[in-house]
Amino acid sequence: MTATQTRPAATTGGPSPARRALRSLLTDRIVLLAVLLVAVVGWMSLLGAQGYLTGAYDADYLSGALVDAVPLAMLALGELVVIVSGRGGIDLSIGAIVSLTGMAFGIAYGRWGWSLALSVVLAVVVGGLLGAVNGLMVAYLRFPALIATLASYYAYKSLALVVTDATPISDPRIGALYSITRSVEIPVVGSQLPDVPLGIFTFLIPAVLVTWLLVARTTYGRRLFAIGTNDVASEWSGLDVRRTRFAAYVIAGVVAGLVAVYISGQFASARPDAGTSGNGLALPAITVAVLGGVAITGGIGRVAGVVLATLLITWLDAGILLAFEGNDGTQYQLLALGLVLVFAALLNGLTTRRFTGSR
Amino acid sequence: MTTSTEPSPSTPPTSTSLPPTALKAARRILPPAVTGQERVLVVILVVLAVVLSVATPAFRTAGSWQPLLSSVAPIALMGVGMTMVIIAAGIDVSVGGALMVTAVTTAKLLVDQGASLPLALLAAAALGLVLGTVNGLLIAYGRVNAIIITFGTANLFQFLGRQIFASQTVNGIPGTLELFGRGEAGRTFGLPHSFLLTLLVAAAAWYWLRHSRPGRHLYAIGGDPTAARLAGIRVQRLTLMTYAVTGLLVGVAAVFTVASGTSTLDQSVGSGRELAVIAAVVIGGTSITGGRGSVLGTVLGALLVQTVASGTTQLGWPSQLSDFFVGVAIAIAVGADLVRQRTRRAR
Amino acid sequence: MEARLELKGVSKRYGGVRAIRHADLTVAPGTVHAVVGENGAGKSTLIKIVAGAESADTGTMAFEGAPVSFSTTQDALAHGIQTVYQEPQLFAELTVSENIFVGREIVRGGRVDWAAQHARVIELLDTIGLPARYATRPVGDLSIAEQQQVSIAKALAGNAKVLILDEPSAILTDAEIDVLFAVVRRLRDTGVSVIYISHRLDELFRICDEVTVMRDGETLGTWPIGELTVRKVVELMVGDALQEGGDGSTARSVPDGEPRLVLESLASEGHFDDVSVTVRPGEIVGLYGLVGSGVAEIAEVVYGMRQATGGRILLEGREISPKHPRAAQALGIALLPANRKAQGMFAFQPISFNITVSHLPLMSRARVWVDRRRETQVAKDMITRLAIKTPSEAQPISMMSGGNAQKVVLARQLVKRPRVLVLAEPTQGVDVGAKEEIHKIITALADEGTAVLVATSDLSEALRIADRLLIVRAGRTTREFPPGASQADVLAAAAGADEEVPA
Repeated sequence: MTATQTRPAATTGGPSPARRALRSLLTDRIVLLAVLLVAVVGWMSLLGAQGYLTGAYDADYLSGALVDAVPLAMLALGELVVIVSGRGGIDLSIGAIVSLTGMAFGIAYGRWGWSLALSVVLAVVVGGLLGAVNGLMVAYLRFPALIATLASYYAYKSLALVVTDATPISDPRIGALYSITRSVEIPVVGSQLPDVPLGIFTFLIPAVLVTWLLVARTTYGRRLFAIGTNDVASEWSGLDVRRTRFAAYVIAGVVAGLVAVYISGQFASARPDAGTSGNGLALPAITVAVLGGVAITGGIGRVAGVVLATLLITWLDAGILLAFEGNDGTQYQLLALGLVLVFAALLNGLTTRRFTGSR
Repeated sequence: MTTSTEPSPSTPPTSTSLPPTALKAARRILPPAVTGQERVLVVILVVLAVVLSVATPAFRTAGSWQPLLSSVAPIALMGVGMTMVIIAAGIDVSVGGALMVTAVTTAKLLVDQGASLPLALLAAAALGLVLGTVNGLLIAYGRVNAIIITFGTANLFQFLGRQIFASQTVNGIPGTLELFGRGEAGRTFGLPHSFLLTLLVAAAAWYWLRHSRPGRHLYAIGGDPTAARLAGIRVQRLTLMTYAVTGLLVGVAAVFTVASGTSTLDQSVGSGRELAVIAAVVIGGTSITGGRGSVLGTVLGALLVQTVASGTTQLGWPSQLSDFFVGVAIAIAVGADLVRQRTRRAR
Repeated sequence: MEARLELKGVSKRYGGVRAIRHADLTVAPGTVHAVVGENGAGKSTLIKIVAGAESADTGTMAFEGAPVSFSTTQDALAHGIQTVYQEPQLFAELTVSENIFVGREIVRGGRVDWAAQHARVIELLDTIGLPARYATRPVGDLSIAEQQQVSIAKALAGNAKVLILDEPSAILTDAEIDVLFAVVRRLRDTGVSVIYISHRLDELFRICDEVTVMRDGETLGTWPIGELTVRKVVELMVGDALQEGGDGSTARSVPDGEPRLVLESLASEGHFDDVSVTVRPGEIVGLYGLVGSGVAEIAEVVYGMRQATGGRILLEGREISPKHPRAAQALGIALLPANRKAQGMFAFQPISFNITVSHLPLMSRARVWVDRRRETQVAKDMITRLAIKTPSEAQPISMMSGGNAQKVVLARQLVKRPRVLVLAEPTQGVDVGAKEEIHKIITALADEGTAVLVATSDLSEALRIADRLLIVRAGRTTREFPPGASQADVLAAAAGADEEVPA
């Protein structure tokens, strides 16, 4: 992972262990998230044991809840790439890309009878193209990312609805895809552990690995962090700033395409509002990215943080569903998300100024 | 533009020594009241109206443009606040959530408490003001990023709203608000009251932004917050004010929304409205980076967005297509803005 | 006549550094009073004290006979002391009129009194020589020079009694300078005391009445302009360095050979118009010029960051025209940017990142996978080679001192031995020790065969390090000095007194 947090120089007889732990907690987002994750799971389990929950908050339940973690984490990784690229980078349209790409996938696989592999490729290509439009506006035409992706959000969202006149595609082949979200037993040690949704292995883990390799181990990743840290210095260093930034938005689009396939399976139909119903998928993805330590100003972000943040939100939401009767659960999820975001933003603001060097 | 390089008089000038030609040329004291972008918008709107009237005669009828103006009112009203926020280089994506909370509160007050119109209006405005102030305090004094924070408060407001809804729709909303409604009582000279009130507020805001000291200071803050502070401008206070006022206007917009709706209110109210408001502001020529903008443009932008929506349905096209046009309109508006900026900084 | 402003016995320390040891300054009303001195002589600190941005450790200050003590700039402003800086602090979207009154608008009955403001603005515009119709134009539409004039008008609007102009002519063309001087004269005639800070010594003789010279933190004295010549001023500024050649360092022996880099009548519209430079392998050529002379832009053109509009660049005999730093790097040209923070540093990234960011293909397998071991090795090598003080190559660069950070940015240029290395202000903001070390590194590099071009506005640096020193003045390369030239001669040539400098 790219080192993005400070490492205090070796001190002799410096601050007490308690103070150092606190500092580590505040500055190292990974540590903080891990602690929070343990705290949340622990607390929820405690509540469950004491009978406050309407269902069992156990390993099986948590494992099952991971079904929703897959699209959330993937889109959050897409946002990570875009936000790290700097210059106000953000992608409000990622949910709409999911919707529109989902329709393309649905038509190819469900209506035209293409093979699954080919249809997935189509989804990826369409997603990439839609992302490329964003990239063109932001990187080459220098539109502010917020506005560019707002415009494309509108455009893509409407196109998704227009394509099939707002009817989902639930042809039998798509329905059969539901199996991609089933839970499977992990080989070898599986009998001792709860079943895990297949999507974790077929979608999430590969996506996490590829993204991590991309940002932490490839030259592209270096360029990405460079332009996000300092646009001007990147230019002076000979980097192709525009192309690197353009690629970031394409990557987000590609990820959205993959998520579209997954979601089509999850709902057994390609829905034109898959990514845009309610608050849409973009907002939670951005929330998770920010919570995961991605700096909204660019240049900072870690895949591990995003993954941990996803788990935290997913399992927190899962616990909330059990803690409250009926529909109240979804409402409290909103509360949790909101509080978490405000808290994460305040924390980002506080620690940036205190502990990191001058920017 | 060349600097005058004529040799200067060797005697120091006194205030009456200016030649009369200079005084006459200086008659226009303020920057132009209407920007180029706004002129373009007016033209586009007129063209659109004409085209639509020809294509679908129904468009010309009162039954068409009255609901149109009714639907413009809340967007434009919230847009007035949003314009101020954006001029000062901020942003507020929580207005949709705030609209939901204030709308359901208003509806509940009417149904459960039998509140009168003035009371409902006051309550909604006050609640909106409180919500806006929360945003303002966090952003102005917490020194956090506006977009992230308002994403967060959007969720919080939605939570609050849903709590008040308690998973039900609000039914049996009485006609207390018919003054702002769609019926006869809601119109004067054929124009909906909500729209008229919005125009009034917009005019007041326009005047305030143009002629008051704090109004001008907003532009300075958006242009360069550090320089503004050095010039003695109270940046934090003014920033807080923009969000608070936006909240208040959201409250009033909620009253309009409830008034012009049916007797049932469901949880989808306010959903996605923040984007429509931002779209109106941006299309109207306000720069998202701050320092430049006008309320007139926002009203025109809101009119454009709603006219496109109405026209699309009337032409029998899929209604979702209107969103597509909005997206394109945003892209064009911002693109034009950027081109203008680029040609100016051509030095 | 009573002095308007009188400072006596002022001194100021910043930490361990004495910015001012002893300063006296007496400014009379209705005069243009220049304050000159080299970088580091204490000018800017003295001015900051006058403007209220800093407070003196010792000494007294009196304004119009009464003792005063400013703790903030507002205090100074209240007395009518205004400063106009080089970078206009204006709001591009607001009109000239609004900018002049921002923060203190004239208000009547709750609304801004545009008419009253307008009347005053028209007056001010007339005083500074801008057309009245500018009053309602957004400031962003004006040229930089005009914006500066608006800054002056803004200062005047506050009823300035003392107007401090900090390097006003640096960004102006000759015609614009004439206009500026006319304004300054007019102000003087109305009784304003103008404190004029500039490096352009020839200009002083056109506009100033008195000159105060500072050197090494002390004011040497004040002389009426009639008693001085440029040469004399330079000698005062530079002091005992008059007789010394450079700083006694022995001249390097530069191998003969075909020039590696040649700039032939190079021009870039608006910045410089006739620059000719030759650099041989193993040679260190210095380009010295005052702020605004075009030196920084020349470096930018060689590196592809800016395009030439005339003339040629030849690299080992072949004409080149790099369109982007990438192209320049491919040709073997490296550049150390002038503004470390904005153009050189990736602030919160580690040292190793900062060093390798320009060489990713080199640090990778198949141009895609970053070879972290190689990267760490290269970083460690550089740390040793350049004596960078750091516990590890993973330390973020933002936590380092100026000198160390500069070494890191320099290291980036040296990963692949460049054929041509251009250094822009290589030791700006760098402490004395690191400065020495960086100079040694540059010399060593030249010894290994690189052609080095140093563009700097630091006079002693230029003399110490260059084998040949070219003066850039008003966009042209004018004279050349060998090693061992005196600071006074060089400064005089750069500040524009050719006639007075021995050939």
